[in-house]
Amino acid sequence: MSRTAYYALARKDSVIPRSVRAIASELGVPLSAVLEEPSALELRTRALLERAQRVLSRNPSASFENVWHTLVLLEEPPIDRLRRSLLRGRAGDIH
Amino acid sequence: MAVPAIFTEREQNFLRELTRQGVDFLVVGLAAAALQGAPAVTQDIDLWFRDLADAGLRRALDRVGGIYVPATLSTPPMLAGKSVALFDIVLTMHGLKDFEQEAANALDLKVGRVKVRVLPLARIIASKKAANRAKDRLVLPILEDALAALSDKTDFRNEGPQETG
Repeated sequence: MSRTAYYALARKDSVIPRSVRAIASELGVPLSAVLEEPSALELRTRALLERAQRVLSRNPSASFENVWHTLVLLEEPPIDRLRRSLLRGRAGDIH
Repeated sequence: MAVPAIFTEREQNFLRELTRQGVDFLVVGLAAAALQGAPAVTQDIDLWFRDLADAGLRRALDRVGGIYVPATLSTPPMLAGKSVALFDIVLTMHGLKDFEQEAANALDLKVGRVKVRVLPLARIIASKKAANRAKDRLVLPILEDALAALSDKTDFRNEGPQETG
């Protein structure tokens, strides 16, 4: 950043553009709600939850836990799904 | 998150050798269900062979330092040796068609660096229902819920990050 730009910003009350402040004001929410971006993990979790809800709405007798764990496992490569299954199955042998 | 070492290169080598030797086999049971994403727990990987007398099976075992232990009056046929300790031989799949018919609809799944043929989850459920042992009844709700979750996708088989190495 150039020195001119730095001092121009330093003299301002806020470095957040007026348009953004106006949007927050119009929506009646704090500025942080407009500025904060959900993390990739939050977005992914939200998408998985929506998918789980869709499955449960089509299969009301299904357990959320089973559906959720399946969807989470699908995020992993098949070999890791198998390894987790074997690890849990052989936990008694290992310890 | 990294998964600790189990089903390592040793076991993958055996599957690779079976494929190289042209042995017809399917991964079945709960290991097959787990590969497809079902949150099922298993101790072994069940393999269903088209022909246990296939010379390729013996050659694959030789290559990985395992042996075939034929059935006796009181024991089923087994595989022995460190490299094949996780694998079990399945002789009968209750409630299913013969090997060729089931194999025709098997899924090709990449397990590490090896592509294997896997019995689809719906057929695993059919076999568990037909076998109807106490342990089968316990796991059926998990498998059925997993199938419902999988049905939400058009193609779930190789879903998940691509494997490298």
